[in-house]
Formats: sequence, C-alpha cells, structure tokens
Amino acid sequence: MHLNSRWSITRIGVLAFLSVHVLVVIFPFVWMAYSTLKTNKEFMRSVWSLPATPSLDAFVQAWNTGALGTYSLNSLIVMLGSTVLAVVVATAGGYALAVYRPRWLAGIEIGLMIAMAIPAYVALVPLVVMLRAMNLLDTHLGVVLPTAAFNVPVTLFIMRAFFVTLPRDIIEAARIDGCSEFAIFWRIAVPIARPAMFTAAIVNMIWVWNDFLFPLVFINSPAKKTLPVGLADFVGEHITNYPVMLAAIFLAAIAPLVLFVFFERQITTALTGGAVKE
Amino acid sequence: MASGAAAASSAVRRDSRYALLFLLPTLVLVVGFVAYPVVYSSVLSFYEWNGTATPVFVGLDNFLRLAGDGFFWAALARNLAVAASAIVLQVLLALVIAYCLVRIVGRIGRLFLFLYLVPVIVSEICIGLLWRFIYNPYFGLLNAALKAVGLQSLATGWLGQSSTAFAAVVAVMSFTYLGLYVLLFVAAVRNVPDSIYEAAALDGAGHFRSLFSMTIPMVWDSVRANVMLCIIGSLKTFSLVFVLTNGGPNHASEVVSTYLYKIGFNAFEMGYAATIGFAQMFLTAIGAWIVFRGLRSSKAGRGD
Repeated sequence: MHLNSRWSITRIGVLAFLSVHVLVVIFPFVWMAYSTLKTNKEFMRSVWSLPATPSLDAFVQAWNTGALGTYSLNSLIVMLGSTVLAVVVATAGGYALAVYRPRWLAGIEIGLMIAMAIPAYVALVPLVVMLRAMNLLDTHLGVVLPTAAFNVPVTLFIMRAFFVTLPRDIIEAARIDGCSEFAIFWRIAVPIARPAMFTAAIVNMIWVWNDFLFPLVFINSPAKKTLPVGLADFVGEHITNYPVMLAAIFLAAIAPLVLFVFFERQITTALTGGAVKE
Repeated sequence: MASGAAAASSAVRRDSRYALLFLLPTLVLVVGFVAYPVVYSSVLSFYEWNGTATPVFVGLDNFLRLAGDGFFWAALARNLAVAASAIVLQVLLALVIAYCLVRIVGRIGRLFLFLYLVPVIVSEICIGLLWRFIYNPYFGLLNAALKAVGLQSLATGWLGQSSTAFAAVVAVMSFTYLGLYVLLFVAAVRNVPDSIYEAAALDGAGHFRSLFSMTIPMVWDSVRANVMLCIIGSLKTFSLVFVLTNGGPNHASEVVSTYLYKIGFNAFEMGYAATIGFAQMFLTAIGAWIVFRGLRSSKAGRGD
C-alpha cells in the first residue's frame, strides 16, 4: 500500500465523507439501541433525544408480554435443522464438484447456478401443495426442508471453493494406499474441511435466522412461529409502547450481530467466496 | 498404452460413479424442493384453484389475464426500477467506496467495512420495522429532522403516500444491501497489483482517473458478477417491501413478490399466483441472458 501522504487533503476529505455516510447507514441501529433505554413518555416527547435516566424496563416488558422466548426457540430449531442439513449435503456435493472430473459435472454446476437465481416465491404455491401432501405444513420440518434446499447451492459453492485448494496428491496417495473413496472423503477431506464447514454454517445460520417468507407462509400456529414472523405480529399488537417495540426488534437483531462480531472473518470469507465465482 | 487407456477409462467411470453418489443428497434436495416446484408451478398456471377444491383446467386463461393485468406489469416494472437504482446506488457507489477504502483510507478501512456490513447481517424485518419509525408521519425521525432544519413543509407520511412510498422503500434497500457490494469490491480492488497504481501515479493520474481507467477495467469480472447478483437480488426482493408497505398504498410500491403473495395467500387464487411466479421466472431468465451478453460485449468493446 502506498499512500501519497497520510493526511493529504484528499484523504481527510474522503474520510470525512465516508464517516458521515457510514453513520447514516448504521444510524437506525444506534438510534434503536439508545431508544430502548427510554420510557414511552420520554420517547413521545422527543424521538431524537438520548435517554435521561437509562432503564432496561422496555426489555423486561418486551420479553414478558410477547412470546419472544417461544419465537426464539422456534427460530433456533429451524436454524439448526436447516443449517446442519444444508452444510452436510453441500459438503458432499462441493467435494464431488472439486475432486471428480466427469464431463456432466459442468451441467450440474450450471443447474445449481440457475437454482441460486430462482426467487423463493416462484416455488411458494407448489411448495404449499407438496408440504400439505407430506403432512408437513405448519411444522418446523416443513420450513427446514425447502429452506435448506434453497441454501444448498450457495453453500455448495463455498465448500467447493475450499476443496479445490485441497492438494490432489493427498487424494492420490490415499488411493494408492487402498483407501476407498468414502474413506478419503470422511477420514481425510472432512477433517481438513472443518473450518470451511464452520464458515458455511455461520452464514447459513444468519440467513435462516433472518428468513421470513417460508416461515410466514408455511407456519400458522402462533406457538410455532419463528422470530421474524412473530416479531412482525408483536409489533402489530403493541403499537402503544414504542420503546418496548424497539426492545423486541433489538432482541431479534442481536443474535446475528453477535455472530458477526465474533466471526467477522469467516462471514466475510464466506460471502466473498460464495458470491463471486469463476 | 492400451492398459493405460483402460486405467484412464476406469478412472473416468469411477469419477462418474462417486461424483453422482456424493451429489445425490444435493440433487434430491434441490430437485425436490427447487426444480420440481418450479416445473409444478408451470403446470399449476394452467389451472384455476382456490387451494382446497379440485383444480380446474382453464387453458391459457391465466396467461391472458396476466397479459392484461396492469398491476402485474407495474410490479414487474418496479422490480426493474429497483434493479436499475441498485446498480447505481449499491453497485456503483460500492465500487467507489471500496476504491476509497483500499486506496485512500488504508488500514481503518476495515472498521468502515464492518459498519457497512451491519445492515447486511441484521434481518430485513428488523430493518424494515426500524425504518417505519424513521418514516413515521407523526413522530418519525425524518420529519423531526426536517423540522429541526426548517424544512417542515417537506415533512410527510413517507410510506403512506402513493407519491413517496416506492422511493422510500428503494432508499431503505440501497442502505441495506450496499455493504455486501462494498465487501465484494474491496476483495476485488485489493487483488489489483500495486504496480498498476504506481505506473498510473508516474503518469500523473489522480484518484479519479486511476479508478476509472485502471481499477474498473481490472475488476471488470467482479463488476459483471456484482451487477448480475444485484439484478437477481432485486427480482427476489420481498421482505423489506412486505414489512415497510406491503406493496401499498393502493399498489403504489407493489413488486412481483408481494403481488404474488396477495393473489395466492390473501385472495387464494393459487393458479393465478403460480402463473405470476412462472412468468416472472421466464422473463427474468430472458433479461439475465440479455444483460449478461451486454456486459460481456461491452468489455470486448473496451478492447481489454
């Protein structure tokens, strides 16, 4: 990196502009965070002001009046189910795409890329019909299966990007030693791929946790709703106390943010590896 | 030689067999829950069906209705407007920001990147609900800010008015997804060798020229990929629109996804909803093809 001068006019100007811009981008979150500490009266007097005497009452009330605990638990079930399924399936698939070379794999690859471009809502009506026929409507499994299926192609490309860096000599040496193809995958490739699987799992967790359309349509029982859907209901019902609403939104937003703070590098790797192919 | 060829062909057979085995779970899931529903939706689009009674075959009725359905075409046009605005406000802006972060800001660029990514990580429902506070006509932050600077005449119910609702939604989208493209371009701009910039600096090129005549051609593959990604994303868009306006008021911010949802799950016209989805996908495929070809030939036209 060579910068003409550390504090050139250009650099100061750019820094000032970007600082203002990024503050606008994240302002809603900053505002949410400090407004949850206000009372409703304070909030109604001025929406911009900082809390005079910060209190966590809004959080307590949000947690006690809504079914946020139930919604979070449901989200957790769907998230874990869908993430495990997608990552396991995509690890095997990504391995196949990276290690084997039959001609028809190119066709599969194009097929998976097309699948990535298909909007989930195109499949919505048929999926309802299918899930009803399988008795999976209004169940968590009924959300898990299509969610995982829609996440598998991207996850698979993340895994493939890892497996192509696996030295082929290792595989060839294992073959000469008489290892079966499954043993090579299970005993050699998968243990090495654990960090990549973890990376793929983290982004899957965030996607599924935030997913809205499938749980909105496939789940009816209030007790089975996931957090984003439940949150939309909650906010509709509690229109009088705004800090409580904001506290509920905050609680729904915090899990992915914590993951992001801890696993920033894995998440950015997965997002760049999965989205930019070629 | 003959045995070598036999070994090679047995290796090919082995590759084929095991590749299929390892891909089997992927194929089951993707064919079962992505490809099959899409094909199924093309079949359902020839039926009239309320979701419970037996579907009735109606031939091309749904397609004829679609051809004359102004709401659908307006919604599709809005999806395209979202894509067009996203190419400028997300992809192009992100490219400029990424260049600044890598070439001008330097090490603390990481902090900026982190902050730009926050809205990418938080759920669209949370973001939409927050922006409803910002746009609120009675106590919204935006109106309060306008009043504070003496522009109260501009204060309005941003999401509740036909004239402003769609633009207000597009504005939220441009803030929400920008970070993803900043991230992708930072990765691409970092890969441009320093020597390129040094040569440019020796020629007396400033940052402006260095960005447009050096960086953009060097990261053109990434520009192309991101424009595609952004168009696909714009056609998929649902959650933010749903939570901000649900396509209203009076269809003023309707996109194809929210329209399909209303037809299918509020009006229970499942057959027609399937037609909308199928038509959308078909039109998207054609559009993607044209854009992809266009971006490729525009690169050839630039002579690099």
